[in-house]
Amino acid sequence: MFGVLFPIALFFTFTVGRNLSSMQSLPILLSQTVFWASSTVGPVVIPLERRTKTFDRYLSAPMSLFSVLLGKTMAGIFFGFFVSIVPLLIGTLLFPVEVMNAAALALGIILSCFAFAAMGIMFASVPTESVGNIMMPLNFVRIPLLFISGVFIPIGELPVIGQVAAYLSPLTHTLILVRGGLGVESFSIPLGASIIALFVTGLLFLYLSLKFHEIIRKRE
Amino acid sequence: MYAIEVNDLTKSFGDLMAVDHICFSVSQGEIFGFLGPNGAGKTTTTRMLTCISTPTEGSAQIMGNDIQKQAFAAKEQMGVVTDISNVYLDLSAQENLIFTGKLYGLSKDRRLQKAKELLELFGLQDVRHEIVRGFSGGMKRRLTIAMALVNDASVLFLDEPTTALDVQSVRVIHELIMKLNSSGTTIFLTTHNMAEASSLCNRVAIISQGRIATVDTPERLKQAMDRVHSVEVVFESSSSHLVKDLEELQGVRGVQKRGNMLRLLTLHPPEVLTGVFQYSERKDLRLLSINTLGPSLEDVFLEMTGEEIVERTKGSGKSSERRGSVKSRRSSH
Repeated sequence: MFGVLFPIALFFTFTVGRNLSSMQSLPILLSQTVFWASSTVGPVVIPLERRTKTFDRYLSAPMSLFSVLLGKTMAGIFFGFFVSIVPLLIGTLLFPVEVMNAAALALGIILSCFAFAAMGIMFASVPTESVGNIMMPLNFVRIPLLFISGVFIPIGELPVIGQVAAYLSPLTHTLILVRGGLGVESFSIPLGASIIALFVTGLLFLYLSLKFHEIIRKRE
Repeated sequence: MYAIEVNDLTKSFGDLMAVDHICFSVSQGEIFGFLGPNGAGKTTTTRMLTCISTPTEGSAQIMGNDIQKQAFAAKEQMGVVTDISNVYLDLSAQENLIFTGKLYGLSKDRRLQKAKELLELFGLQDVRHEIVRGFSGGMKRRLTIAMALVNDASVLFLDEPTTALDVQSVRVIHELIMKLNSSGTTIFLTTHNMAEASSLCNRVAIISQGRIATVDTPERLKQAMDRVHSVEVVFESSSSHLVKDLEELQGVRGVQKRGNMLRLLTLHPPEVLTGVFQYSERKDLRLLSINTLGPSLEDVFLEMTGEEIVERTKGSGKSSERRGSVKSRRSSH
């Protein structure tokens, strides 16, 4: 429920009174849902599993640390994907929203789920048994990303440095692909570049997750 | 080939050397006790041996497989029971066993067969479909041990398996350990309970401040223990000479002051009791209480290591020290 309710609450916070059409607002809601839901799984599950010591089970079982982290990332991907169906269904069933480029939309959602799930796993390398100890640093990153990724403030209205940062943010590329999928006018970079950006970001986060978790195993 | 072979295994947390170049070996089919007070390095050692944590230095082999270079093979040979029952509370007992079987790559038929066997062996057959959240502590512990045996482990690591359990559950788990051992499983039992180690283990290692103080049979440790007793005494009033006077009583090896209680270490409690009563009458000091105590694990450490015990709490920033004014701590070892 958190995965759906929190993005909706944020969505209303920043869209009410702005007189946005459903075609303009649905990509915002959908991108946010994917972003929050996928990146939340690792930071919630891993510290709870550390507390109950079920995480130790995976480490002492005949499997690599990478397999464990990949499994947790996949949990984030599935969770983010299924939760993102909710706003998509609402948008297509209740509002006049049409999917114009299904491949861009599907790849946008799936690759974003991958990138954000891996980001969550990376933050979950913090050796704590408290969810809050991970959520705090994670939100230091997640909340600013909302403001530099064209979700609430159009990228064109950002200063130059903000625009550079926007294209480094994976959330920008989520929004580009979702808007492209729904046929909404977007930014001036090709969809293929956003697909590559999300894929590379996901791999980078997964690699960093592995390295951070290995360091923690040496220190724990 | 040893079941477990440890060479210079070391783990440090910043400046704190939690495990300091320890060496020992465990033969196949042995029940090996690993004893020590809280913070001595028992769990840290177990976590390294079970591949949960990476050693800072040194090496260890499980059934001949290096825990770092051949981690997969080493893990396939071991079952691990951590110090808390790490079962999946929202799954049933059978589902817990089947899921664990999946982690070890068992086929579907093998998983089901193994789950059935273990549920029967551990007396959980009647509750196999019940959600584990409702289980008692003893039942969860039994299920945790059962989960560690899904892969037919050659070496079973048990970390404090009976802590916080009632007497009946402790007895059931002790019987299970003996049964498993008689079927050939090597048991590595981590505990701070000397009685448990004494009744179950072929040999025990004592770890103190991250170092192995001794590795010996329980019988030989008991011999050391039998030489150390103590008399705890509380007087109604105190004087500056009290500790010194008591140290000079016949048979007293040392005096430890803990609040208003004085602990007299001795080899002969009756002799010290007589001396304390006579001293009390002579000095007209009223006795509030007097007790004789058997040897504690701490006493064994003092005997074995000739050092004061410093109990460290990793990570919490707390450090509690137990020091006494022991007159003579050197044993004849």
